[in-house]
Amino acid sequence: MLSRCRPLLGTYVEIEATSQAAIEAGYAAIATVHRLMSAHEADSDLSRVNCFAHLGPVQVHPWTALVLERALFWAKESEGAFDPVRAGRAAIENGYLPRHPGQPEPVAAHWSWLELQGRSVRLLKPGCIDLGGIAKGFAVDKAIEELRRAGADRGLVNAGGDMAAFGARPWPVRIADPLTRSPRVEIALDNEALATSAVVVGADRRWLSASVRARSAMDTDALTKVLLSGSTRAHHCLDLARATGLRIACDGSIEEVSGEMIPA
Amino acid sequence: MRRAAWFTILPTAAVTAAAPVSATVYLTIQAAQQAMFPGARFVAHDLAFTTDQRKAIARGSGVGSFDKVQRVWDVRSGNGRAGWFIVDRVLGKHEMITYAVALSPDGTVKRVEILEYRETYGGEVRNPNWRQQFVGKRSGSQLQLGKDIRNISGATLSSRHVTDGIRRLLVTWELLLKNA
Repeated sequence: MLSRCRPLLGTYVEIEATSQAAIEAGYAAIATVHRLMSAHEADSDLSRVNCFAHLGPVQVHPWTALVLERALFWAKESEGAFDPVRAGRAAIENGYLPRHPGQPEPVAAHWSWLELQGRSVRLLKPGCIDLGGIAKGFAVDKAIEELRRAGADRGLVNAGGDMAAFGARPWPVRIADPLTRSPRVEIALDNEALATSAVVVGADRRWLSASVRARSAMDTDALTKVLLSGSTRAHHCLDLARATGLRIACDGSIEEVSGEMIPA
Repeated sequence: MRRAAWFTILPTAAVTAAAPVSATVYLTIQAAQQAMFPGARFVAHDLAFTTDQRKAIARGSGVGSFDKVQRVWDVRSGNGRAGWFIVDRVLGKHEMITYAVALSPDGTVKRVEILEYRETYGGEVRNPNWRQQFVGKRSGSQLQLGKDIRNISGATLSSRHVTDGIRRLLVTWELLLKNA
């Protein structure tokens, strides 16, 4: 088993697989997602949307359209607990995202101002879309696809805590406390994905982090934000993704969160 | 004892005040050289910076803290230069990272590989109450606790320190390697 780590998507992306060719194919997929959906890169699909989509429709890559579509789906189903438009405006206001030359100040603060038809994206007023809460997961899904396509029979991709794995034997994985980085929970990842998101240090919240386990890494990435928000839609959303979750509370206790249909 | 269907709560009693460190080695320097420049020859070209050079690099890159000697290899293939291979180290809040950068002869970044990632768990000891709560507790155990498990899902670590480091290496190339 080979293991590599490269800086991409603003974090460290680790790929484990049985062949170097598979690992290269995995990184190529991740680099493509980075190029298309990073709001930091001035010439990404996403930055073009943020600069021009309020003036008229902007055509994007099928992958970007797919992620935007899923982002809108989760925004709607979570009733805005996950919202890439609100998140984008907050990121600009707090200085987490740059405003590129020509990019308007974001006004829109709700996902309903974003319209997607096929590969065509429009913003009904100036806005900033941040896919930081979902694109890493999508990149992990794409990398896993590429590892399989390249013939790897076992592999793991970990993009800074958004991870997925496949193979005949499950992968032991630990969830770390976001503050101390010490491992708190162990799970066996069995042809599925696990994402963990932490609350920004200093925020006055009930939970330090939320983790979600499901088939799709893209879904787990988005759903951690829904769990962290404390939204009452969390159970509904977990059901839709056939996912399970857990949260590490501020007092260090660990709370399981499951869908409505699964008895607690 | 709490029953959990799909995860195991780890005991934290084993965590000591000695601030345990986990290190992951992905590639040795030699393996990274062969991966980045297959079949090439590597001529050591370490840079021992003078005070003035350090100041100039810090000014040009905006990165003030770095090693006094930079490990650099002049990469040769046939009679010409294939590029530069540089090993660098950055310190984050919780991690120390050793990484390698392959530069083409004109100073563009061809590839970056993390060689070693070393993480400290020093923060754990700051809040003993958290530890106390879970001493000896473990439930739903389906897995043997592996000593070598290193796939961690946690707060996303920013790779900003490496990004800053690469910017500093490009300034170093401009000042000291471009015309070497």
